[in-house]
Amino acid sequence: MMGAIAFTAPWLLLALLALPVLWILLRAVPPAPIRRRFPAVTLLLGLKDDDSISDRTPWWLLLLRTLAVAAIIVGLAGPVLNPEERGPAGQGPLLVVMDGGWASADDWDTRMQMVDDLLTEASRTGRAAAVILLSRPEAPVFVSASELRNALAGLHPAPWLPTPERMGRFASLLPRDGPVETVWLSDGLAHDGREALLDVFEDLGRTTILEANRAILAVAAPRYTDGAIEFTLSRSATGISQPVTVQFIGTDPNGIEATLAEQELAFESDQSIMTESLSLPAEMRGRVSRLGLKGVESAGAVALSDDSLGRREVALISTRENREGLELLSPLHFLRNALQPNADLLEGALGEVLPANPDVVVLADIAELAPDDEAALTAWVEDGGLLLRFAGPHIAASDISRQDEHPLMPVRLRAGGRTVGGAMSWGKPKTLAPFDSSSPFAGLDIPSDVTVNAQVLAQPDPSLSDRVLARLSDGTPLVTSKAMGAGRVTFFHVTANAEWSTLPLSGLFVDMLDRLSVTTSSTPGEAQDLSGTFWEPVVVLDGYGRLEDGSTLPGVDGEALLAEPLGPEIRAGLYQRGDRAVARNVLGGEDALTTMAWPDRARVEDMTRSPEIPLAGWFLALSLVLLGLDILASLALSGRLYLARGAGAAGVVAAALLIQPTQAMADDERAIEAASRVVFAHVLTGNRSLDEMARAGLVGLSQTLFLRTSVEPGAPVGVDLEQDELAFYPFLYWPITPEQAQPSDSAYDKLNQYLRSGGMILFDTRDGDISGYGTASPNGRKLQQLARPLDIPPIEPVPADHVLTRAFYLLQEFPGRYRDRDIWVEASPPDAEQVEGMPFRNLNDGVTPVVIGGNDWAAAWAMDDRGNPIYPVGRGFAGDRQREMAYRFGVNLIMYVLTGNYKSDQVHVPALLDRLGQ
Amino acid sequence: MSQSLPSLKQTAEQEASRFPHLLARANHLAGSVLMGEHGRRRAGQGDDFWQYRPMQVGDSRRMIDWRRSARSDTQFVREKEWQIAQSVQLWIDPAASMRFASSDALPEKTDRARLIGLALSIMLLRSGERVGLLGGQLPPRRGEVQITRLAMSLSEDQDADYSAPDTRGLIPHATAIFVSDFLADTAPVLSALTGAADQGVRGILFQVLDPAEESFPFRGRTLFESVAGSLSHETLKASELRENYLERLARRKTELEAMCAVVGWRYHCHHTSESAQSALLWLYQAIDGARR
Repeated sequence: MMGAIAFTAPWLLLALLALPVLWILLRAVPPAPIRRRFPAVTLLLGLKDDDSISDRTPWWLLLLRTLAVAAIIVGLAGPVLNPEERGPAGQGPLLVVMDGGWASADDWDTRMQMVDDLLTEASRTGRAAAVILLSRPEAPVFVSASELRNALAGLHPAPWLPTPERMGRFASLLPRDGPVETVWLSDGLAHDGREALLDVFEDLGRTTILEANRAILAVAAPRYTDGAIEFTLSRSATGISQPVTVQFIGTDPNGIEATLAEQELAFESDQSIMTESLSLPAEMRGRVSRLGLKGVESAGAVALSDDSLGRREVALISTRENREGLELLSPLHFLRNALQPNADLLEGALGEVLPANPDVVVLADIAELAPDDEAALTAWVEDGGLLLRFAGPHIAASDISRQDEHPLMPVRLRAGGRTVGGAMSWGKPKTLAPFDSSSPFAGLDIPSDVTVNAQVLAQPDPSLSDRVLARLSDGTPLVTSKAMGAGRVTFFHVTANAEWSTLPLSGLFVDMLDRLSVTTSSTPGEAQDLSGTFWEPVVVLDGYGRLEDGSTLPGVDGEALLAEPLGPEIRAGLYQRGDRAVARNVLGGEDALTTMAWPDRARVEDMTRSPEIPLAGWFLALSLVLLGLDILASLALSGRLYLARGAGAAGVVAAALLIQPTQAMADDERAIEAASRVVFAHVLTGNRSLDEMARAGLVGLSQTLFLRTSVEPGAPVGVDLEQDELAFYPFLYWPITPEQAQPSDSAYDKLNQYLRSGGMILFDTRDGDISGYGTASPNGRKLQQLARPLDIPPIEPVPADHVLTRAFYLLQEFPGRYRDRDIWVEASPPDAEQVEGMPFRNLNDGVTPVVIGGNDWAAAWAMDDRGNPIYPVGRGFAGDRQREMAYRFGVNLIMYVLTGNYKSDQVHVPALLDRLGQ
Repeated sequence: MSQSLPSLKQTAEQEASRFPHLLARANHLAGSVLMGEHGRRRAGQGDDFWQYRPMQVGDSRRMIDWRRSARSDTQFVREKEWQIAQSVQLWIDPAASMRFASSDALPEKTDRARLIGLALSIMLLRSGERVGLLGGQLPPRRGEVQITRLAMSLSEDQDADYSAPDTRGLIPHATAIFVSDFLADTAPVLSALTGAADQGVRGILFQVLDPAEESFPFRGRTLFESVAGSLSHETLKASELRENYLERLARRKTELEAMCAVVGWRYHCHHTSESAQSALLWLYQAIDGARR
């Protein structure tokens, strides 16, 4: 952004008027003469110039010089970009007021710098000053500005915003006497009570409002909707589109906090609220502990998630599997419907679901368990599981927990149960008694239509009253519970269906399950749900959005937790009660951020103004550059600048710059060439004669293929394993020489990828004359060394029925320049068997990725440009025959590379048999 | 001026290194012309058959060609070609003004002059003439060795800006070739010419010029200096001088031509931008004409 330009010595600019004079003067002075050697000067002697006016200095040189002088003049005049306006100083002490809420946190450093600048200036003029955060209002104490500067480092934004109440309190604390100049560093958000405070300030003296011209971003609490995490982003200003990256932070499987997912979003230019959702796997979703905006440091940019994102796994166990069609009578029907929206349900036999380690196991009217199941279930509960049992006819009829308390029952039961208010009894159906305050159900409303017709009764044991969570109106327990190890067993004395009571039909049933942590509610934010509860902070956010340990802070009332505005008493953070957790976030789901519209009379300035930049140095440097150019130009004009030499140097530089693109272009062309035809490649070993031989060998093989088969290869290429892409070449010839370099790890990665993706490498140790396979010839050792990191399957000598023996020609040996060696290929599968009457085993799968031998094939194949063999093979006619067999091996090999085990297909066997004369 | 030994040796080696180069190029150039119209005139001296004529009074009987006479009734005398070898003497301007080339692509004038001179010498020596240098250093001699001596002598430079044809050692009735740019004063040239003509010497004035000297492509304020720096001329506007210069150059050429016409010499102007071969061809033919 280009700001205004001012001059420290503007009168110097008058010198610019002298420029036209300079122009005329420079024009009048002729350029220096060019010295030239010229033998025919004898003929010139005595010649006179026609007129005395010399050639004029060219106009562009004049312009150059004039510009240089102009730059000097302007430079000396002291130009300054973005000059600071030094308005008249205010009266009285300086009061710096900062909003100090989380909305200021992201650019807190800028603000502190701003305050520091203000205080520096105040200390220069000897004014007293005070710095106040509106989020923590206190009476201003005016002290020396320089002392105050030292205390600035201790100021941090609060994780809440200035409320009308706080601003009003501050207004009452202000001194009413004498002028006070106020500078208000606003965060730009609209808050009630701001204008009133502004009035107070303006009454005191000059008031300036500094605002950062930036949007404040905040994210509201995430919630679980339709299988995805839904979250809302808000921003204060609109007008420009703005990218935002939302990070989902949680613990990774190792328990280390990490960013589990990131989503990149962007505000449209006229959008201030954006609701998005991200679908994560349930397992990962359960681990998301908070959402953060990447690169934004404020409490508003962090949204803690509580239980609402986690989904508990609930296992429903029932015995009555045979009663099909009686949906409404199924003990699990109401449970299923109550739990479905908020929990993941598992159904099945206990032995099947327990290994899945559900959070909750529900046993509906199951009295006796198999001893194995019972032991497993006990262990699971002691390990922290929640067992939820419902009564029913089976329980009532069984002897469970009759004499002694069953480990998996909270209380002892009386035999038979009782029926109240039925057709055969005198009493009325019982209603529920209000919940005790110590009960987890405390605060829940009891609908009047919930009645209980039948129940199983608990034995009045001494421990009974501690274990009762809910009672009927006559005092008999309805829900009992006991802790067991780290887990808990809870028993409903009624059925889970509507047979014994109307409880499952009511909304209370769902709320009760919710309180029992059977489910996690998707909407934790109902104040009355939390009424009467007391919550302990676990972690709280500071103004920058960083997590702090909340265990030293006092607990808060559940109702206040959700309803009260944030402040020192109620911090944004994660609160816990029992095994439930609730998050209080800075931004509620419905809150929007709005920009403050200040009244017209207020002096509002942009805080992020560009710093003052003196430009004098730049102008003087420019004039130096121009004068330097002038020297070059003058030299050129007088013929003393050897432009040709300069051009040569420039050419070298340009060539150097061009080398890289040319290289890339060459790579592309090579890739296109290699991809458009069948091209064989050989590995460059660094030994020039060997590389040349390998190339000539592949040329010979390509030529042979061209003449004899329908394969029409392109010119072979040498590949550098470190740099070249191998994917284009179906076949790689790798001659071994002891001195070649070991490829790098990345080259081996590439080679293994090549082998896995269907490439073939022919390793040639070229020492078939002196050694057998595996003996310690230098080449053999080198091959072992080279091949060790390669992904090579088990190998075996070529079996007589290998496809290589009949891919094009029928061959029994594979000579190159030498003929004494076995060649090795991937071992055939152990289950390959020869079918009676068939000459070959059925080897239809797998093309060997490597062929290893030492017959120096390239030398036998090598041809010069005219098709003449380059290297001798054998002697006389036998040698020619051997070379021919070498070519045939090459053809077979390439056919094998290109067509795989096509020839092994049994379809061809009759024809092959025919040709074999069998 | 005495040079220190190493520097003398270095200079000598530099000079010597130029000389085989010049020799090789001259050989090449001479060969390319010899292949043409002239054929191989290498027959031994006096061996060429000229004509048979009837014996006349005064002829010695030993002069009768008996083989020819036996076929008829009269005696014939076999005459051979008159093959007195002629002396050709070269003067190639060694002055500094010749060491000038207006661009890197062009050879220096002295380079071209020596190349043509040596190539011509080779051709003449091979056709049996005697070739030497004026100035008394190298009298005309015959034979291949003379080529080497010529090449060595031609490689010597002179520091003075301009020089005049040196007619010392001029053999009467020989052929002389003066190769120079003839940009210096013409009076010494004229006196050399007339002196030579007085001795019955015929010859060729061969002017070698650089294209820049012919076209004067200069502009602006310029200080022209001779190669050795003895003369200079400053102008404020070189482009204005062009016409005057060209006129003077043309006059100089006419003057040279006129001098030649007076003494029966021939004049040719060669530019270093043209091919050396055509110049050599012209020279060879001109010498043929001057000889016969």
